[in-house]
Amino acid sequence: MELNYQIPRPALIWTLVAVLLVLLPQSIRMPTWISVVALLCVGWRVLIHNGKLDYPSRMVRVVVVLFTLIVSFSQIRNIGIGLDSAASLLALGFVFKLIEMRKKRDIYVVISLCFVMSMVAFLYSQSVLTTLYVTLVIAVTTGAMIALNRSSTVADYRGTARLALKIAAQALPLTIVLFIVFPRIAPLWAVPMQTGVNSTGVTDEMSPGDIGQLARSAELAFRVQFEDGLELAHEQLYWRGLVLDHFDGVTWRRTRNSSSYSVAASLADFRISYEDRVRTQGEPINYNVILEPTQQPWLFGLHLAEDVNDEFFSGRNFELFNNGRITQRLSYDLRSYMQNQTDVLLLGSSRNRNLELPDDGNERSVEFARELRASVSTDREYANSVLAHFRQNQYFYTLNAPLLGENRIDEFLFDTMAGFCEHYASSFTYLMRSVGIPARVVVGYQGAEMNPYENYLMVYQYNAHAWSEVWFEGEGWVRFDPTGAVSPMRIELGVQEALRDDPAFMEDDLFSAARFGGIGWLNAMRLRLDAIEYEWSQLVVNYDEEVQFELFERLFGEVTERKVIMLMAALAFIVIIAVGFTVINIEPRIQRTPINRFYLRVCKGLGKVNLVRRRGEGPIAFRDRVCAQRPELAEAVTELTDLYVKLNYVEKSASEAEQKSQMQALKAVYAKLKAEMRALAGLRRTG
Amino acid sequence: MAFSLREVLNKNYQRWMAKNIPPREKITLNRKNIFIVPTRNGLLFVFTSGLVFIAAINYAVSLAFALAFLMVSIFILSILHSFNNLNQLTLSSRSTQDVFCGEEACFRVQLSRSPKRRHESLEMNFPNSSSNPASNSMTSYTDLAVRDTEEVDVFTLASKRGEFKAPRLRVLTRFPLGLCRAWSVVDLNLHCLVYPRPVPFSMNQFDSGASGGSDSAINREGSEDFYGLRDYVPGDSLRQVAWKSVARGQGMQLKQFVDYVDNKIWLDWDMFYGFNLEERLSRLCYCVIQLSKTGNVFGMRIPGSEYPPATGPDHRKKLLRALARFGAE
Repeated sequence: MELNYQIPRPALIWTLVAVLLVLLPQSIRMPTWISVVALLCVGWRVLIHNGKLDYPSRMVRVVVVLFTLIVSFSQIRNIGIGLDSAASLLALGFVFKLIEMRKKRDIYVVISLCFVMSMVAFLYSQSVLTTLYVTLVIAVTTGAMIALNRSSTVADYRGTARLALKIAAQALPLTIVLFIVFPRIAPLWAVPMQTGVNSTGVTDEMSPGDIGQLARSAELAFRVQFEDGLELAHEQLYWRGLVLDHFDGVTWRRTRNSSSYSVAASLADFRISYEDRVRTQGEPINYNVILEPTQQPWLFGLHLAEDVNDEFFSGRNFELFNNGRITQRLSYDLRSYMQNQTDVLLLGSSRNRNLELPDDGNERSVEFARELRASVSTDREYANSVLAHFRQNQYFYTLNAPLLGENRIDEFLFDTMAGFCEHYASSFTYLMRSVGIPARVVVGYQGAEMNPYENYLMVYQYNAHAWSEVWFEGEGWVRFDPTGAVSPMRIELGVQEALRDDPAFMEDDLFSAARFGGIGWLNAMRLRLDAIEYEWSQLVVNYDEEVQFELFERLFGEVTERKVIMLMAALAFIVIIAVGFTVINIEPRIQRTPINRFYLRVCKGLGKVNLVRRRGEGPIAFRDRVCAQRPELAEAVTELTDLYVKLNYVEKSASEAEQKSQMQALKAVYAKLKAEMRALAGLRRTG
Repeated sequence: MAFSLREVLNKNYQRWMAKNIPPREKITLNRKNIFIVPTRNGLLFVFTSGLVFIAAINYAVSLAFALAFLMVSIFILSILHSFNNLNQLTLSSRSTQDVFCGEEACFRVQLSRSPKRRHESLEMNFPNSSSNPASNSMTSYTDLAVRDTEEVDVFTLASKRGEFKAPRLRVLTRFPLGLCRAWSVVDLNLHCLVYPRPVPFSMNQFDSGASGGSDSAINREGSEDFYGLRDYVPGDSLRQVAWKSVARGQGMQLKQFVDYVDNKIWLDWDMFYGFNLEERLSRLCYCVIQLSKTGNVFGMRIPGSEYPPATGPDHRKKLLRALARFGAE
């Protein structure tokens, strides 16, 4: 039977559509030639079906296998074994399977691969949009399975689609219950995900223009929700990312200690001295951050953020690092002490690191710094007077900073006098260091937009910012933001207000809704959509074993193994029964006319005086039995039954008016019968 | 040993079936007589959902978990839908026709549904089993999507002469997703009569009758009607000598008498002396077919019964049925 099996045309079309849909989001990430090969294979398969081409010969298949092998080796050599190479190889094998798809079984292999590819899509993104798209793909794939199992005589696309949607809709409640209840397991072995997606956001290097580049993007960086609905003023929202303490004249860099960001040894060393380095003051602020994938390991938090769940590494300068690059949307809880002082004592090597400057260059700046320092008495006064210098002179805050030459600091400070935050932070820090005050550049984000629908903050890439930290004797590190001196609006109201008229601002996202913040309904829609995305992240994407455990604990008290098993069994049972009943719709009940119903009522009435109509007993048989048992009622029962039989079986009337009059006639007879029954009952009671 | 174990299992199975799905002319399928197991494709699907689940664990991707659960849910629903595709389907037996041994017996089965239901992609056949060694029973396909009733012919090889009770009929469906198959094996009391397998042979001894076409056949050596004279051969009976002719001086002549036999042929059990029972029946069967074809009038004698000569399809059927049932008691 399988020998000459021809895949039904609708099934083939459904399958190919599913394949194309599944590959579409991948095609952005895959090399272009794979997409071309995919389209060729789909076309080939259609031509095979139409009899224009044959299945691939042995020769072709050998060539294809060799080709795939070569490609996979070169991929591994070029990109490494990562998610991208695996995904594109999977896609390649997947489309080659298409031209070889002869039997029913082959289609099922392709369909299974469709599900696997959908899973791959989730590895890249778990947004609401991706979820909706994958749901569509799965509905189409289900349609392919249905089309495959339908005979061509009854198959129509609409019917298949309707059934596929029905099955998907019925599967949904069960999925949700399994999602909530099924015990989550922590990863068995860590799989570092390498994606070729370019990293986004703030990096550990800052050259002039880097932050300005970010300001052109309206992409979301992260969302933050404070505990207890706390609201902080805009100028307090400094999302600290990395500390850059090495300057080579052009670029500020983070000095890396040994090989990686997460070295256990230095961590242990740091832990011991933590108490000595931090002076805790004030009340902590608790908040949750949901970071969009950055492909970088560092995290962002307010001043001196501590990680509540102890799952991240702390850097030397109180930066936070994830174990591995962040390839997925990541949610984490932080606790920040806004008034904390750090490094009240600055020891030798750290001190030197924060004083280091290139040996030559920028002589004018150094001289300017020395003169200014000489004119004031304390370091703090000096820092303030530098800020005053920025404030009082014609400095501009702009994305279109003029190009700078060799002595960047000099040129910026005295010639161009226009730049973005990195220019200000860089020269401010330089001016500090050149007079022997330890200082460093901090990069991160500043400001946020409030989403009123879910009460959380949205931080965009254009919120990227750079500022300085200056060390004072007895105070530790103190934040200074020279940009605020130039453009107070930037700090108090946000970058949108400060750069309202700058054409370069958000120019990468010309059609981003954020650009049209001025249009009321559009802005409301943008905020609403983002709120949905946020809720989705909170409720679904972040639902892991810990959240599940907490939920169980909240609902059922202490979580024991037995409780979990019982709960799972009970819920699965309930859902299966519920779904079962909707699928196996119980036989449609017999349609009863009002006359039928009335007769049943009469029978019920008679049942009360011990004249119960037996199952399957016809009205006439019942009448005869009643007459035999209770001759007193015979007359009324006979009249009623005969009328009922006549109306129900002999002259079935159509019009409503007729039915009404018939009902009235029946009711009249029934009244008579009831009176007789009552009399009978009364007789019995007295007798 | 293995064989006997299989036999025991089979016996138990038959007994269990007879108890739980007793033979009936009309059976409505319900949860008591529908079985469901996953197909190989279904197992592949479940395996894939396992893969997705493991990937979800390893990459800690919440929505991949959801996808794995969705796949499992779809699988569970496919079980329910497949069941539903058979549930409340009514099967009843229709007429059957007699067949010759070695042919495919055709059983007509009526499927009916209640108006609110649909049953699609139904496959019906007689599964192979040790009680029904006839292999490769053909599968008939049908849908109950438009009309409320549908009649389907299901075929199986009739391998033995006599009263043939069809094995249990299997109704199977993989609809809608092909991930599992639901089936039922019902006994609709399907019967048919299997005639002996006709064995062709040269029928020369019937030539006079078959090819004569005239109104009579002659049995020389008869004794009833005068036919003519022939010369005396020494040894002939003197009682038949035509003495009148001798008196006329015409020499010794013999009166010949014949019995006029009409073209009524008798098929006799003893015609095939030396063959065994089935072979005799097969040849008789062939004779019946051939003689009916040429419109002969013929009768048949087999031990225990005699069928007077007649002709026509009813006669043919009567004789074939007698042959089919021969020795059944």
